[in-house]
Amino acid sequence: MPNDSNLNEMNNIIELKNVSKLYNQPHQLALENINLSIREGEFICLIGPSGGGKTTLLKIIAGLEKETAGEVVKPENVSMAFQGGALFPWLTVYENVALGLQEQDLSDSKIKTEVLKYLEMMKMTDFALKYPAELSGGQRQRVGIARALAVEPSVLLMDEPFSALDAKTTAELHDDLIKIWRDTKRTIIMVSHLIEEAVSLAERVVLIKNSTIAEIFNIELPYPRREQGLAFHHDVMKIRREFFK
Amino acid sequence: MKSTPHIAHRHRHSAISYPISLSQRLYTFFVGPLLVVLILFIVVKFFSGSSFAIVEKFSLDDLVKALLATSLRLLIAYILALVVAVPLALFATSSRSAETIFLPVFDILESVPALAFFPILIVFFVRLDFLNGAAIFILFLSMLWNIVFTLVGGLKIIPKDIKDAAQIFGIRGWNYFRKVLLPAIFPELVTGSILAVAQGWNITIIAEVLHVYIPGGNASHDLFGIGSILVQAASGGKTDLFIVALVLMVLMIALLNFFLWQKLLRYAERFKFE
Repeated sequence: MPNDSNLNEMNNIIELKNVSKLYNQPHQLALENINLSIREGEFICLIGPSGGGKTTLLKIIAGLEKETAGEVVKPENVSMAFQGGALFPWLTVYENVALGLQEQDLSDSKIKTEVLKYLEMMKMTDFALKYPAELSGGQRQRVGIARALAVEPSVLLMDEPFSALDAKTTAELHDDLIKIWRDTKRTIIMVSHLIEEAVSLAERVVLIKNSTIAEIFNIELPYPRREQGLAFHHDVMKIRREFFK
Repeated sequence: MKSTPHIAHRHRHSAISYPISLSQRLYTFFVGPLLVVLILFIVVKFFSGSSFAIVEKFSLDDLVKALLATSLRLLIAYILALVVAVPLALFATSSRSAETIFLPVFDILESVPALAFFPILIVFFVRLDFLNGAAIFILFLSMLWNIVFTLVGGLKIIPKDIKDAAQIFGIRGWNYFRKVLLPAIFPELVTGSILAVAQGWNITIIAEVLHVYIPGGNASHDLFGIGSILVQAASGGKTDLFIVALVLMVLMIALLNFFLWQKLLRYAERFKFE
């Protein structure tokens, strides 16, 4: 029988051990000695000042950047939703969502089923034949999330996905994201620069400052968090104090 | 931020504008070429004192055949330039060190006038008894760098997120070229092609008149084409022949512009990143 620590380690889907990242041009230490364990099914938010290293950390988990030192243990099937969607402008919404599936040697009917499933989940079925240029910012982001989810990832990474959207669209997408997270039980790691957003979504908020983890906050409020009034603001203020310290 | 020479090229090339509104399109496709033809007609009527009868040995059929011969040379040179330019641009932007090494070399090579190679090329192709090869090669050289530099510019502005998304979704190798790179640089491919073919039309005037570069050469060494007819007509004082040949060439360029390039430019809009 495994002991408690082994059991915890078994439930962890991502392990970062003493991870550092040094860029050569320009010479800059982006991450220093990062230690972080992420449990399967957890919703984590990385926040911090610009240039603090949160996007670099996300990209290391995604496999888009290679750590200079340390060890990263992560599953193979990691997917990502990008800021602004990062949709291919020459492909329709349907084709964009099918993009990752087409690389997996699936049959056309299977691809169609999966694409339509996630388009429906993101309320974008009616836009399947539109091109990205014909969509609003929020709709593009929905397609980006559908594309990321369609490959059935163990971990969904999100790089400031709502930063360019208006408040109403952002609130709608927050609600949808929480629903998807609960329904699919995916592990979600999201980068945000908004403390309120992090508190309203994540189970744990990781504050990254000066290239390292400054503090990790557990958020234990029930959802929907913004309706929790003072308790929500209390958690926001607690993180804000550390953020600006 | 310091602007590198290849980026400067990109800015220069992408400065091309094309008509958007219906009236602008009508002007570019119909009114513009018609005005050119009308002006040329008036010039011939009033200054040459002769009709449009084709002088001496050239009939209208011959002129059309000459135009087609020139167009075929341009097409072959363009295809060759495209086939060489795409891998060159991809290779030159494949890594930071490749950029550092190859882009300055390309800048220098582009600066060397293509025609400087012409006398040597002709000697080579005369030995092979393949004078068309000399013309096609010089047209190829004159087109190549226009395409290479616009493609380099296009490759360098592909958003990082798009490349990252391709990597995340496992698009690699040939699929990466086919599904990501080629569509991403399609607008630049069209722009570069327009510039290259325009440059080709310019050079054709010289590329077909080979006798100038052959020691003891005469008009029989020239290639049959609209470029050599223009030069012969101009040097022989045959104004009416010159005008008709010129009008045919302008018409061909206008038709290409209308039926090919403008349609491709409009289609390329879909491929542009915001």
